[in-house]
Amino acid sequence: MKAASSVVRGLPTEVQVEPILAWRSWTLTGRRDGEGLLLRPVTAGSKAWRPREVAQASCRLAWSHEAPNADCSCGLHATRELDFLRRTRCPAVLGRVALWGRVIEHEHGYRARFAYPQRLRLICQFCFWQESAAASKPDVVSWYARDLLVPMCVHHLGVAEANGMRPRRILPAGIVDLRLRETYAVDALAV
Amino acid sequence: MDIGLPKRVIEIEPASLPVPEPAPILEPSVDPLPVPEPAPEPARETTPR
Repeated sequence: MKAASSVVRGLPTEVQVEPILAWRSWTLTGRRDGEGLLLRPVTAGSKAWRPREVAQASCRLAWSHEAPNADCSCGLHATRELDFLRRTRCPAVLGRVALWGRVIEHEHGYRARFAYPQRLRLICQFCFWQESAAASKPDVVSWYARDLLVPMCVHHLGVAEANGMRPRRILPAGIVDLRLRETYAVDALAV
Repeated sequence: MDIGLPKRVIEIEPASLPVPEPAPILEPSVDPLPVPEPAPEPARETTPR
């Protein structure tokens, strides 16, 4: 790594050749048979991360700058620590992502121009919120309207059904997890 | 999600992209099965009115 002479809004700029690896979560959609899996940002309205294609950041607020911009919040977000993702809304998949291009490093994470997942794993979001990533292994994947797929443990499937969230179809989590990794051509995430 | 204040900018130009190759389009290794010709329609019986 070497220091570069350019400065972005007073921030020091460095140049390197190795992508940064960081943590990220997504929601998941797919067809009722578990095919057509697609990772989607937890922020509604953001672009899906398509299999075998580089995810590229764009700014929804301003067309006059390239993402990420130092004066904006745009860019592909990822965190330095895994536990930081427990604050995210409705995560269905956890992963390690490679970040490159222009990357703005923050106190707790990064905003990048380009990214692609390197390792993926389904999680029960309720166990993840209440306990940890290690304790969030799902048993099933519930299929809901709008092709939303929600991995859950058996306990939280019961809680969801008791509260009126009855899935239209239930798929085995192991098969969906394997299909997801095959679709994106990545390895399993061990946490 | 608030990831805190920006600290620095890193310009990363990797030697190789960490993205898998596009999925290969597999061609069939054997000749496709012959499509059977449609059977001729049976001649309609005409019943005198």
